[in-house]
Amino acid sequence: MDFPAGARTASDESRRLAGTLAEVARGDSAAMADLYARTSAKLFGICLRVLGNRSEAEEALQETYVAVWRNAAAFDAARASPITWLAIVSRNKAIDRLRSRRPAQGLEAAAEVADDRALASELIEDEQERGRLTTCIEELEERQRDAIRSAFLDGATYSDLAERDGVPLGTMKSWIRRGLLRLRGCLER
Amino acid sequence: MTDDLDMLAAEYALGLLEGEERAEAHALFESDESFRRRVGAWTGRLAPLLDEAEPQAPPAELWSKIERRIAPPPAASNVVVLRRKLSLWRGYAAAATALAASLALFLVTRPEPAPPRAEAPMVAMMEAAGSGAKLVATYDAASRSLVVAPAAGITRVAGHSHELWAIPADGKPRPMGIVRPGAPQRMDVPPEMAPAFAGGVTLALSVEPEGGSPTGQPTGPVIASGRLART
Repeated sequence: MDFPAGARTASDESRRLAGTLAEVARGDSAAMADLYARTSAKLFGICLRVLGNRSEAEEALQETYVAVWRNAAAFDAARASPITWLAIVSRNKAIDRLRSRRPAQGLEAAAEVADDRALASELIEDEQERGRLTTCIEELEERQRDAIRSAFLDGATYSDLAERDGVPLGTMKSWIRRGLLRLRGCLER
Repeated sequence: MTDDLDMLAAEYALGLLEGEERAEAHALFESDESFRRRVGAWTGRLAPLLDEAEPQAPPAELWSKIERRIAPPPAASNVVVLRRKLSLWRGYAAAATALAASLALFLVTRPEPAPPRAEAPMVAMMEAAGSGAKLVATYDAASRSLVVAPAAGITRVAGHSHELWAIPADGKPRPMGIVRPGAPQRMDVPPEMAPAFAGGVTLALSVEPEGGSPTGQPTGPVIASGRLART
């Protein structure tokens, strides 16, 4: 499968952040402080949105920057913008924390959303798709849109969503899969 | 199939899966680069949803907490990590050696043929960068038996099998068999392979379609490898 390099026109801020991140990757802690100053409000907003609790969000934000510090070298600025990567790391750390609050469901419940380093190198952004996401999300049926947003932003799983809407698990899965296929079709148009 | 895999990648990126389904997707994420790319693409696609969160300044003291956590560790720490890793490996190796010994005992207690002289088994620690998979393989030359003990990170993935390969000096992988997650298992090394094994082959584990590679050569990613050596 080919991934188009995308017609990404990096803004000045994005280029500056990429430069800072490259310094962070070399272990420059002053660059890290600079990165934090410029991005922490956005990332704290994401942690708060997911967790809905300040002290939990503060913990998730700390974990986010520790993961960024450790994995900055794996991030590929040619594939995605730095702020998107940072936002995704904060989302994942917040979701991990959300999941760890739940009653344990065996070992896998403690597992992380995705490996930080692998994601840093594989995150791909397509600027044209980015512009269309809002439109394409709007084109979905309401329950599909709702379910996708809930999974991404509230950490809802298939079984959470099925329970919430009072439908069988299989029904929820096929709704969402249809929604995802439609979303992909719309974005690639 | 392509669509199924892409849907699984989307579900994994969204965090919709639980239990065994999640474990399977996670194993694929760890072992399959094309799946990782799909997850990366879906994550990038969905990322704009995060723009709806309102920025909020974190409390001023938070940075100093982060700064403490990212402070350069003392120079000795790498050595400590290595030492810990080594003792962990020794633990795996001891367990695998004990297992090989018990199998050897089983072999020597059979009435015939005459028991071969016990010789220290050869051991390979198998792992790979970027993969959580670890295995310990022990080879007993006298009985031509290879015992493979999965130590960590090998999960069953529907539609996939883990296949073991022996790579002698000629560089051409020979299929040794399917490795099941969990329990250690014994494999017979064919007599014609015995000299190569005695000289120290490289063992590798790859992810293949269910039942093993259709071509007789590895087709999927290698998630662990290591060279068989005398202890």
